Amino acid sequence: MKLFRKDSYVRTWLHHAWEICNNELKMIFTDGGAIIIFFVGGLLYPVLYNYVYGVGMVDDMPVAVVDMCHSSDSRRFINKVDATRECEIAYDCIDMLEAEKLMQEQKVHGIIYIPSDFSEKLAHLEQATVSTYADMSSFLYYKCLTMGTSYVMLDELKTIQAEHYAAAGFSGEDAAMLIEPVRREENIPYNPAFSYTIFFLAAALMLAIQQTLFYGSALLAGTLREQNRSFASLPDRLQGVGMGRVVLGRAAAYMMVYTFVGTVVLFLVPWLFQYPQRADMWEVFILMLFFVADCIFFSFTWSTLIRRRETVFVLFLFMSPVLMFLSGVTWPESAFPDLWRWFSYLFPSTFGCRAFMNLNTAGGTIVTIAPQLFWITIQTVVYYMTANIAVFVENRVIKRRIERQAIRDRIAERLGIDRDKDAYIIGGKEGVERLRQRREGKIG
Amino acid sequence: MKRFFKTLGLVVLRELKIIRIRPIFLLASVVVLAFNAFFYTTFLRDGLPHDMPIGVVDMDHSSTSRNFASQLDATQLGRVIHYDDHRVAQSDMQRGRIMGYVVIPEHFNAEVQAQHRPTLPFYINSLYFVGGALAYKDIMQMTILTGGAVERQILRMKGTNEREIMGRIQPIVLDQHQIGNTTTNYGIYLNNVLLPGVLEMIVILLIIYAVGQELKYGTSKHLLKMARGSMETAMFGKLLPYMVIFLALGLSLVFFLYHWMHYPLSGSIWNMCVGITALVLASAAVALLIISMVPTLRLAISVGAIYSILGITMAGFTLPVDGMPELIRPLAAIFPLRHYYLFYVQEGIYGAGFAAWWPYLVYLLLFLFLPALGFRRLRHAYEYLDYPRN
Repeated sequence: MKLFRKDSYVRTWLHHAWEICNNELKMIFTDGGAIIIFFVGGLLYPVLYNYVYGVGMVDDMPVAVVDMCHSSDSRRFINKVDATRECEIAYDCIDMLEAEKLMQEQKVHGIIYIPSDFSEKLAHLEQATVSTYADMSSFLYYKCLTMGTSYVMLDELKTIQAEHYAAAGFSGEDAAMLIEPVRREENIPYNPAFSYTIFFLAAALMLAIQQTLFYGSALLAGTLREQNRSFASLPDRLQGVGMGRVVLGRAAAYMMVYTFVGTVVLFLVPWLFQYPQRADMWEVFILMLFFVADCIFFSFTWSTLIRRRETVFVLFLFMSPVLMFLSGVTWPESAFPDLWRWFSYLFPSTFGCRAFMNLNTAGGTIVTIAPQLFWITIQTVVYYMTANIAVFVENRVIKRRIERQAIRDRIAERLGIDRDKDAYIIGGKEGVERLRQRREGKIG
Repeated sequence: MKRFFKTLGLVVLRELKIIRIRPIFLLASVVVLAFNAFFYTTFLRDGLPHDMPIGVVDMDHSSTSRNFASQLDATQLGRVIHYDDHRVAQSDMQRGRIMGYVVIPEHFNAEVQAQHRPTLPFYINSLYFVGGALAYKDIMQMTILTGGAVERQILRMKGTNEREIMGRIQPIVLDQHQIGNTTTNYGIYLNNVLLPGVLEMIVILLIIYAVGQELKYGTSKHLLKMARGSMETAMFGKLLPYMVIFLALGLSLVFFLYHWMHYPLSGSIWNMCVGITALVLASAAVALLIISMVPTLRLAISVGAIYSILGITMAGFTLPVDGMPELIRPLAAIFPLRHYYLFYVQEGIYGAGFAAWWPYLVYLLLFLFLPALGFRRLRHAYEYLDYPRN
């Protein structure tokens, strides 16, 4: 058959792609930096964060209390606050001044003030006020104080109302009806204790995959460009064709590496830390393959901006926290300004994090995450095309390297800059030599 | 002395030429910080999310249930999405489309009227942190109000007077105050520490890069020769232009936050300038130590990257340090941002002044001794270039 002839298009295509893939694998496994980023970085970050965050909760936050009332009612209120998981009464102060001082010294992170007319008002069936002052240096302090005092307030309502109604002659069902005419039933299924770790890690795992893949592949691409052997010069050997081969061949190499890394990050890390895994394993695996493919072409496209080995960290490290916000796990997506919603569509992690969270932590199925998979697929296709264009453009640029240097010389001359002199000042004779080589197109 | 300044001038001039040739220095400092400031202030401009999608599964279809839904919709936090089927709402919550939902069961109204105390179940997606917590708060308040409304109706029927009704329905009210951030603005809380954190990251990465690239491209010998063999002059002259840039960025950041954006500040803006200056100096010192200990650019940059990202976490403004495992807590002290954060708490939130924040300033300045530990090692590397370059 024609298809299997030695010089058929399909066979040469496969042959070339295979060679490029092999070459890329060789580069990955002979580069210490890339190995560290791929195999250590992807694992290190989630594990590190797990250790740093621990259970991810603040229990028994120290609170100061200023009890001006000194009645059995106020004492009961204070004791109940002390009994909550959120707060612990650490200091009993005689006035607000003392409590404020303790808060400023960060010995307590909240103040509860009970005015002197507290129990009098209760006795007269009027509304009594309890003032709380939260230390806003962290939102978690605020949350602890609010939740702790709200629970107690609700509980106290019942106790006090029961007393009132008993005094007024209601009892049993009658009183219960008045105290709680509608019973609340709260269900917080996925993360019952609002643990910081559970919410953070779901997004961090997917983000770790994307970021390490991007940093690692950009590092390798930068290294090649520095050494003047960019993969974009490959099509020349193939007589000008073969962008697809270059992109898909390299992608195959990263796919192999990241099928492994992704499995470790998404399955081993949660297992190690007994993190909730509620989805079918194969469905998570399918999501991972979609996501990794997307990340690969995303990295190929954007790493075009990286000309040298180390610059990727210097330029793009700040994106990690930004992407965390764009994934929508902290700040709800419904509250995104439009500009940033569109911006978030540029990144695989936006959909990857949400999909992983809904699938694995919330226990959905592949149908649940269909919208995210849809966007991931679109991104993959678009980024595949841009990755091809990037190779094409870079190939052109490489060919024109000598002309480009000449243009730079002309511009420098017009601005009154002597490039040779500058090169000498910066790097001495070696510096001048490097500039000469650059002009001859020998280094990038 | 005159000779020293002349040499120093030459080194500084050389550094300025490097900054001119390589766009990365200005891109990764000025542009990156400007982007971050723009991003976080516009992204979190609302302070707190409002109109979050909350589901209501109405199986009762009575005036009470409709009333409940429209009141929930009218709250600032919530926007109601109506469902007929419990399962659809459940799967939408799983998809993260709604932050939570309330189920109003069949015959709810009838049971309330018959005083049967019906149950009102609600579900919260706590995987979306801020969204989930706020939806919880919103729904909780709504159910309390609903209970109160029913109670009021009964008490009125029993002939209790209006003033007493409130005392009976809600005998205790909480009067909540937020110190340092009265409006509970998430953006203000975050940007006060996150943006200096980004600045710390910029300083660390760029100083490592600037010092390390001499080693990588083998130009360090030339630099030493230019500085007449004095490593001190070489480093001082080399870092001077960067420090000027970083300090300018730091001061601009302080004025941006507290002057232009009018973020609440109890203390004085000039004291914040002192704090950010100390943060920049301390970060640069850490960077110098890292590149001295690991005189290979690639490795040093990786160490700096991990260090500065961890520094933001370990500052303790998201998850407080007391919430971290006991073994980890002391480690927070090795990050300059941690001390800057505590400095800010004293000056920015409590306005407690020098008497309260001087220890943190001292801690930050103690970082300045760090480069001395690795200085000889760095000089050796600069002279002999005997470490792997890649």
